[in-house]
Amino acid sequence: MEVWVLIALAGIAVLSSLGVLLSKDNFYSSLYMSATLIFVASIYAIFSLQPVFVLIVFIFVGAIGIVTVAVAATYRSDPESQFSKPWAVLVVITAAVVGFAIYSYKMLNPEMSSSVIKFELINFMSQSEYLILVLSLVALVVLLLLSVLKMVAGGTEN
Amino acid sequence: MLAIDMTTASIIYITSFVILLIGYLTAISSKDVIRLLISLELMFGAVFMALIPLFSVALLANAAFGIAIVTIFTSSGELLILIAAIAILDKQKRDIHTKTIKIGGDRV
Repeated sequence: MEVWVLIALAGIAVLSSLGVLLSKDNFYSSLYMSATLIFVASIYAIFSLQPVFVLIVFIFVGAIGIVTVAVAATYRSDPESQFSKPWAVLVVITAAVVGFAIYSYKMLNPEMSSSVIKFELINFMSQSEYLILVLSLVALVVLLLLSVLKMVAGGTEN
Repeated sequence: MLAIDMTTASIIYITSFVILLIGYLTAISSKDVIRLLISLELMFGAVFMALIPLFSVALLANAAFGIAIVTIFTSSGELLILIAAIAILDKQKRDIHTKTIKIGGDRV
């Protein structure tokens, strides 16, 4: 039963990403992209990896995704067709080769053992390591914001 | 709880790969930088999905969570820079089409 839920979520994620490719309007394209990311996060949720689900939905979709939707809504008047058929053929061939490789690996290794995900956030890191990681990420965000401010100020001067 | 066996791993990897390829195809055929930004986010989504089987190895579960955190933060930062670059491009060129971006005479 749970495998069918996984297949359904994966299928909807692929269909949403196809919507990104085929939609001509940037606004709808960004909405499809947000939906794809939410379905990817839902796949984390069915494996009981809620911390990652929250990170993806709140930070990636909630912050960056919403900014992208807003930017796309601002610049949405671009109705030109942008689908490249020669590249589509190459993409389908590559997907077929990789799909066959994964399928044949499964056929050749039927004894592969299954394992249940047992993830507990308590044993993630020691307190000091966790502090260093958080400090590094906060420093990264501050540096990024400063560089963005510098970039925007420089862009205004020119 | 759903176990990670070869079938579920195959479903996850194939879906991740298909989404990555659709992201590439969108990036290749994009005519403006907004579509490029959207395709990049799609590619990062595919990368997040490919991380799931790492959690099934008991020894790697905590490392996988660390990788997931760092990946989410750094990719968000990268996209933030790209959004700022789009704003600057619009201010300077009054255009967001990829054909207007030139570096030393080469067209990107």
